[in-house]
Formats: sequence, C-alpha cells, structure tokens
Amino acid sequence: MYLTNGIVIGVINAISAIGVSLIVGIMRVVNFAHGELYIFAGYFSYHLSTRLGVPPLLAMFLSILFIFLIGIGMERTLIRPTYGDEMYSLIITFVLSIVLQNAALLIFGPYPNKPPNLVSGATNIFGLYHYGNQRLLSFFISIGILLFIFYLIKMTWFGKSIRAVSQDREMSSLVGVDHLRVNMLSFGLGAALAGGAGVIIAPIFPVTPTGSTAVSLTAFVVVVLGGMGSLKGCVVGGLMLGIIENLGAAYVSTMYRHIFGFVILILILVFRPWGLYGQKTQ
Amino acid sequence: MSRMDIKKISLPLIFIIIALFPPFFLSQYWLHVMIISLFYVMMASSWNLIAGFTGQVSFAHAAFSGIGAYASGMLAVNLGVPPWLGILIGTGVAALLGLGLGYLCIRMGGIYLSLTTLGFSEILRIIITNEDKWTRGTMGLQIPGFFSEYSKANYYYLFLVVTIFLLIVIYWIIHSEMGLTFRAVLNDELAASSSGINTIRVRILAFTISSAMAGLAGGLYGHYLMLITPDIPSLGQMFLVLAMAVIGGMGSFIGPIIGSFVLEILSEYIRIYGEYHVLLFGLVALAMARFAPEGLMGIVGKKWRKEWVH
Amino acid sequence: MGALIEGKGLTKSFGGLTAVKEVDFHLDKGEIIGLIGPNGAGKTTLFNLVSGVFHPDSGKLYFNSKDITILKPFEICRLGIARTFQIVRPFLKMSCFENTLVGIIGRNDKNGGKEERKDEVRTLLKFVGLGNREQTLAKDLTLIEKKRLEMARALATKPKVLLLDEVLAGLNPSEILQALELIEVIRTKLEMTIFWIEHVMGAIMKASDRIIVLDQGEKIKEGKPEEIVYDPRVIEAYLGESDA
Repeated sequence: MYLTNGIVIGVINAISAIGVSLIVGIMRVVNFAHGELYIFAGYFSYHLSTRLGVPPLLAMFLSILFIFLIGIGMERTLIRPTYGDEMYSLIITFVLSIVLQNAALLIFGPYPNKPPNLVSGATNIFGLYHYGNQRLLSFFISIGILLFIFYLIKMTWFGKSIRAVSQDREMSSLVGVDHLRVNMLSFGLGAALAGGAGVIIAPIFPVTPTGSTAVSLTAFVVVVLGGMGSLKGCVVGGLMLGIIENLGAAYVSTMYRHIFGFVILILILVFRPWGLYGQKTQ
Repeated sequence: MSRMDIKKISLPLIFIIIALFPPFFLSQYWLHVMIISLFYVMMASSWNLIAGFTGQVSFAHAAFSGIGAYASGMLAVNLGVPPWLGILIGTGVAALLGLGLGYLCIRMGGIYLSLTTLGFSEILRIIITNEDKWTRGTMGLQIPGFFSEYSKANYYYLFLVVTIFLLIVIYWIIHSEMGLTFRAVLNDELAASSSGINTIRVRILAFTISSAMAGLAGGLYGHYLMLITPDIPSLGQMFLVLAMAVIGGMGSFIGPIIGSFVLEILSEYIRIYGEYHVLLFGLVALAMARFAPEGLMGIVGKKWRKEWVH
Repeated sequence: MGALIEGKGLTKSFGGLTAVKEVDFHLDKGEIIGLIGPNGAGKTTLFNLVSGVFHPDSGKLYFNSKDITILKPFEICRLGIARTFQIVRPFLKMSCFENTLVGIIGRNDKNGGKEERKDEVRTLLKFVGLGNREQTLAKDLTLIEKKRLEMARALATKPKVLLLDEVLAGLNPSEILQALELIEVIRTKLEMTIFWIEHVMGAIMKASDRIIVLDQGEKIKEGKPEEIVYDPRVIEAYLGESDA
C-alpha cells in the first residue's frame, strides 16, 4: 500500500515539478513561490466549495484558473523586469514566497483546511488491500493532466514555441515567436500546474500555511533529479521521489521523510548534477 | 597618512566613538534591541559578501548561524566547553560545512546553489527540531551565557567589538585584490573566467568566508540569548537577513548595516500592533528589488556612496 | 609542425544542431588569420571551443603542442590565449582601471607589487587610448571605448594569441580605421598572433595573412585573401545567405 501511496504522490509530484521545470527551462528563473501557489489553490478550493457552496469539481477548476491569473500577474509585475539577472529573480521569488506564506497565515488562519472529497469509499486493489477512492481519483486526474501537458508541449504550436524559446531565445524571436508572451504564459502555466497539484492533493492532505516550503523543496528535488528542463525527467523523478519518500517514511522514520529527498539531492549533485535526463551544460 | 586616508578613517572612528555610549543612556530594552541589531549587521553584511559581491544567493545563511549557536551551545552544555572556545569551534564547523556545501553546488551554477542551500536550511531545522534528546527541539536549549555575570552592557560591547572586527575584515576583502575578483565574477562571470580568474574558486572562497562569519555571529547570539531554538536556523530568519541586505542596499558596504538597524528598530515598533513586520518588510523588499535594486543606499545618493565604497 | 594553435577534427553540437563539424585549422606564430563565413556558420562557436567556454564533442585542440581540449577558460587564458567578445563585455560596474587590473590579476603571476601593477594598468590604458578615462565606470563609456577597454583587459593577461570576435561591429568608418591601427600596433609591437572573426570584408581581407571560411559548421576553404575572394563556393555561401 505504501508503494501505491508512493505512486500516487509521485504522479502529483510530477505535476508540481513540471510547473517548476517549465519556468526554469524557459526563463531560467526558479519560482520559489511555487509552494505558496500550490497551497493557495488548495485554500481557494476549500473556500469556494465549503464556504460558498460551489460544487467541488468546479471549485477546483476555478482555483486553478485564479492561480493561473496570479501567475501571469506575478510575471508581468515582478519577474519581467529582472530578465538576465538571475540573482534578482531568485530574491524576488523567495521574498514573494515569504510574503505569501505570511499572507496565507493572516488570511486563512493557521489551521489546516481540507476541501471535500470528490468521491468517497475505498476500492479493493487486486484483492490485496483497500485503497481510498479519492486517492485513486487523484491519481487518474493527475495522469490526465500529465497527458494533457505532454500533448500541449509536443503537439500544439504553443508547446513548440515553448521548446523553441527554451532552447534558443534569440533564434526563436528571429523566427517570429513572441518570447515575452511565451514567458508570461509559461509562468502562468507553471503556476497553474502548482495550483493543479495543490487542488488535487488538498482533499487528501489538508493545506496549512507552513506546508508550502516542503512542497517547493520536493518540487525542486524532483526537477534536479529528473534534470532541469526535461518533462520526462519530472515524471520519472516525481515517481521515484514519491516512492522512496513513502517507503522510507513507512519503514524508517516518518519524521524524516523529507530528508530522503535532500539526501537524493546531494547524491545527484555529487555524482550526476545534470539529473537523469538533463543536458550537460557548462 | 594622506589626507584621503585621514578622511576615510575619521568618519567611521566618529561612529565607533558614538557607539561606545549607548549603554550609558539607553534602557535595558533598547540596549537589547541594539545588540540584536548588531547580530543582524554581522549576518546581513556577511550575506552581502556573497550575494551582493559575488552574486550568489544563499539561503543557508541563517542555517550556518544556527550551526554556530547549536555547536557552541551543545558543547557547553554537554562537555562544559567555555563559550569563547565553543564559539570558535562553532565558527570552524560552519566554515567546514560552508566549504563542503559550496564545493558541492557552486560548480553547477547559481540556481543549484540557491536550491541546495534552501534544502540544507530546512533539513537542518528539521533535524534540530526532531533530535530533541540533544537539542531540546522547539522547547529550546538552555546554554550558558558568555559572561558568568549577566550584564547587557558587557554583551553590547562584546557584540560591538566582534561586529567591528567582522566589518573591518569585510572592508579589507572588498578593497583587496580578492574583492576585485569577487566583483569581477559578479559583473560578468564569463568575462572574468576568460580573463584568467578561477571563478569557481573565488565563489567557493567567498561562500566559505561568509558561512564562517554567520557561524561566528550565531555562536555569539546563542550565548547572549542563553536559550536557542530551531527558530535561529529558520527561513524566517533567513528572510529577515536578506530583507535587511536588500532594503539597505546589496553590493554596498554600508547598506546592510543601515538595513539591519532600520529593520530591527522598525520591527520593534510594528510588533506593538502584531506580527506584521515580516509581511511589511517583504513587501518593501519586493518593491526595492523591483524599483530600487540598490536599496536605501542607492536612494540616499550616489555621490555620497562613491566616496565610501572607493 | 610547430603551429602555435592547432585544432583537429573539432565538432560541437547543441541539441540537434551541429554548430561546428570536423574543423581543422592551425595558427602559426605571428600570423593574422581571418575567420569568415555567413551568419550561423559556427565562427563564434569555434572561438568558444578554442577559449574553453565549450568543450568539443570530438576533436582536439593544441597550444604549443600541449593538449588544451578540455581546459577551463581561465586556464586557457593563463596559458596565453585571450579573447574579446562579439557583444562587448567589460565589467560594467567597475572602472577602467579596475577592469584592466582584473586582467593582470588573472595572469596569476607572483611578481609585481602594487605599484608596479598600477603602472602597468596605466601604461595599458594609455596604449589603447583610454589614458584619461581611468576612473570612469565601464558602463559610462561609448561603444568604441568599451572595445578599447576590453582590449586593454585582454592585453593585461599578457597573451600570445588574441581572439578577436567582430571587433569592428557597430563602429563608424573613422572608428574602424582607429581600431585597425591599434590592431596593427598590437601585432607588430607586441608580436601578437591574431585570430579574428569579421564581417567587414575590406578590413579583414587587407590585414590577414590567411583566411579560413566556414559555412554551416564546415570549413569550405582556406587560403590567401586573393584566393578566397574569387572562390565560387565562398561566394555561393554568402549569396545563399542573402537569399534567405
């Protein structure tokens, strides 16, 4: 069962990680506020469905939409002017994450919030054990989102622009790609993915204002593990991390579950810094 | 000594002399605020050394101060090591870890450094929180003070002396050839490398020195508070240090000093209304980073600054 | 043979694009070699390979018969190969004096005290024509002054070979003449070997001993300027570009 947990979490990790990877690959910016966007989505989802009575599925969509718009807003006002200066974008997103964390604390309060499950009950898996339906649903939704993302990136024109800009910004603008717009939309998409992961997880693990740091870190570890800029890497990395963390937490120690991630990070940096599928750059 | 030299030394000397007086007229409360401010001056200035002068944004700075505090504190509690020695050992430990961490992730570039230091900081905090058999976790570890007799004035002078010492070291580094290579790497790493500068070594060196300084500051801080908690190596603390450097003015010598005093004093006033200072400072820091990257120092005037940094 | 710099079979790809393909070249001491070719031919990539910014996927590089293929940029600089950049890159927030001093520090030689270095910086700045701009910040310089500064910094590293990447770009005709004069003085007085990329054809043809032509990553022709100018393949490479 832990393995299943691992896989489910892994897939969600992957979505979260792609959100980061996208922004890093296109804009060479690490969005430290990633975790905060994730939990904000969870909070929106909760408030919309619980306080305002919006049907849960719609609440999820709306939350993701809000986060997408917030992401675009962030890009336009804060990130855009810092292009070319890696340092400032790191500082800005870090400060933003702290600001959002504190804002969450003030607005939503310190208690965990949990949006309602979409489905309830449990299913018998291969006759071996029972597993929560909500988690199963989350798994399938995640797979769906991942497939959608892959389709988006590989097949659509938007996806091709993204890949072009991430490989060679100058050339792509010569070819007519509006790279400012691509940046903005990519950032929004990255944020939306964070939000997506957040709303999927929220019914399972309630959101708290302080949980955002762990979320960000997990996403970053996955990105480094899988290789910066590689979508396939995010999926594989996400799964690996999900499984290792869950198995580790189950069999070794629950309190240190995130240490496994960090240890993996260190090992990767020592032996294979460009990750599983990343490109060797200098 | 030329006239330029006399001019250069006189102003700081005046400040130092002024700084000798506070224990005579400030209340215990405000003396405490001054001591805390000096701690932040040490932290912000040493963070500025790597972030402002070599462009490496490390999030492990608070963690290194925590290493200094806990190393020294635990040595004192468990082995009876006197604080002054404990602090030195703590500084050494911080330096070693800084060297190791730096060597590990500096080779791969700025983003990796930031990510790894972020992870390092959080992991350290988790370990300290959970290993409460040794560290007493969030309840806090009581450790002996630096002085056997408690006197805020003594602590004030202690902090003042060490802060001035650190600032002199930083000033010397910035204005030496080492500092020049730091700034070259900050300005344009590729051009620096193509001009013969071993940029990786420069960045690792800066990182190690800066971490050692954080360890030193943390050790002192711990033995002043006499109760250390996992709050010290937290990202919240890291944020404050960063905000002070950013708002004060990254890349300038005086910026972090001003930022530390201003923010620390302001936070005391704001605390009356509630724990809003983090949010407020964050917003100000965002605005600064976006509109006035040179911080308060940049706003105060370029001409004034030029005379000082050079 | 004793060439100063020799490259054999150099190949470099980025993703799916092969920027440099099996390129051989050599520079003899004292020569001025011009590197030309249409945009995207791989010229700057070749420079980046020589100066250590990238490492080739395959092939070898030698400097004075020493294998420098996988050395880092600062090591290559210390061996004696200096370069300027296509888009000029002085240290913007530092003064001309400091910029040049960095080059001297990068040299990493233990002799020379502070005073001697100061003198050396002043001499170099005067040499490139920036004698009166010592304390000016690089970002406040005009384009040609920035290029002079980059030259001073490069010369401060006491190179034996200078890689010039489109130094004349963006200069007006009189500035071009000044630049060419400076290059000539560097070549004769400092006995410099020069490898340069240029689009200003008149200049590079006149000044170079030999020309190497790249197109789409491959070396398509090498020879004296007179031979290159009328070569049909070279002309086609350039014409092909103006079609697109």
